[in-house]
Amino acid sequence: MEIAYYRGCSLHASSNLYDIQIKAVFGRLGLELKEIEDWNCCGATSAAKTDEFLAVALPARNLGIADASGLPEIVIPCSSCYSRLLVSQKKLAEDPALHETINAQLEKKVLGKIKVSSILEVLVPEVQAEGFAGMASKKLDGLKPACYYGCLLTRFPGNVKVPDNVENPQGIETVCRAVGAQPLDWSYKTDCCGAAAVINNTGTSLQLMSRIMKDAIARGANCFVTTCPMCQFNLDAYQDQVGEKYGIKERLPIYFLTELLGIAMGISPELLQLDRHFTDALGLLKELKLL
Amino acid sequence: MSFPIVEFDPEVSQSLLHEVMEQSGQNLQACYQCRRCAAGCPVGEETGVSPDRLIRMILLGEKEEVLNNQLVWKCLACYTCGTRCPNGIQTAKITETLKQMCKQAGLAPAAPKIDAFHHSFMSATSHFGRFNELEFMGLYEMENTREAIKRGDWKAIAKEMKDQAKLGLTMIKKKRMHMGLEKVKKMSEVKGLYNKAKARSKDR
Ligand code: SF4
Ligand code: SF4
Repeated sequence: MEIAYYRGCSLHASSNLYDIQIKAVFGRLGLELKEIEDWNCCGATSAAKTDEFLAVALPARNLGIADASGLPEIVIPCSSCYSRLLVSQKKLAEDPALHETINAQLEKKVLGKIKVSSILEVLVPEVQAEGFAGMASKKLDGLKPACYYGCLLTRFPGNVKVPDNVENPQGIETVCRAVGAQPLDWSYKTDCCGAAAVINNTGTSLQLMSRIMKDAIARGANCFVTTCPMCQFNLDAYQDQVGEKYGIKERLPIYFLTELLGIAMGISPELLQLDRHFTDALGLLKELKLL
Repeated sequence: MSFPIVEFDPEVSQSLLHEVMEQSGQNLQACYQCRRCAAGCPVGEETGVSPDRLIRMILLGEKEEVLNNQLVWKCLACYTCGTRCPNGIQTAKITETLKQMCKQAGLAPAAPKIDAFHHSFMSATSHFGRFNELEFMGLYEMENTREAIKRGDWKAIAKEMKDQAKLGLTMIKKKRMHMGLEKVKKMSEVKGLYNKAKARSKDR
């Protein structure tokens, strides 16, 4: 099956390992990703904070290109891009005048047809389908992840229908269980890690991350799993600083969900580029004899 | 025993309230101060102003404080308040509006680094249509340093340089630093959107 794909800036740059993993895992699942052509930055949090028009118009250009692809669905792995495109599509459907103004600027018009999906909306039904067990033969026994969603997968600045429970989503857990990991119940799965603030308001972000870390550790987690490249980068790159400042000795790998799927499917850690984590991601897998 | 008296000028408060309601699209009058938003706000404690307080300040017409407080700038747009509010009030939309009102009034931002961040992000994406981390960091640090020099805050400059250099080096080591230019081919179309945005904000 073919699915349109919006990578966004992060998956083209500092988190391009996530892009590589997604392609490898989706390939095994028989899903072919068609990256939309000549896409632009969605504007992320900054557009929303500085200019209301751009916050809708920048994602809209991508929606127009996606609609023109003729494909029924587009998958957007980055939570921020996903949120922005989905909210823009919704806003344009509700505001015909704005829809017209923006479409007048675009070569490929927004038709509002394509279904905007998070990576979980694609993966959850896949792991529940018959035949998945045969594709993921390695059971990730001993892996006890704290499944971390962050803000933007379930909370939207508009009236968007959320495909999971808002306060206690289960999508990541469902995928983890399907590959034999034992996800834990914990309290901070949708709390903000302050990724957008880590450069400009570091203290706040470190404090938010310390709360997330402490709860996960207290529950007995030995790793985190996330689907958002910004949460992954934040918790991964700044974990030492958080630990030093808040007296946390433990260091937990921050896995992308595609890394667990990849390992379970027998994809090599080299291909998944697991050595590119800031906080060691290979040690735990070796210790649990999963590599 | 004496009690502080709340000063309330309906004319001032009405015009502020309506301006914020109109621009943010949020019905602030529906707020009944239940503070569900405050319980979930990750920065309310630190900023000293929780979403419910901000709304109250607007209703009371405390314009100066409304435009000059840390929540307006430190709001993380996590949307916790709006998701939990029984009346559907999105405070993140209110803080966005207030930031823009603050700019329009020519006031200095209460948190200049945060302002520089979003400003640099938008100018970086306006050049090539995509976000290039290195270009962004260059722009952001330039703006930031300029502000710090104006304040004569050399300590802040030294710390910033040290922190960013450390992160940059680790990123290079972990091959997480992208060395290449990401660019939209049809830049005229993207520029058109930026120009349209500028024209619209002038009209307002
Ligand atoms: S949750 Fe809503 S109604 Fe309650 S105090 Fe906050 S803004 Fe007001
Ligand atoms: S969106 Fe802003 S005001 Fe609302 S809870 Fe998050 S940080 Fe607080």
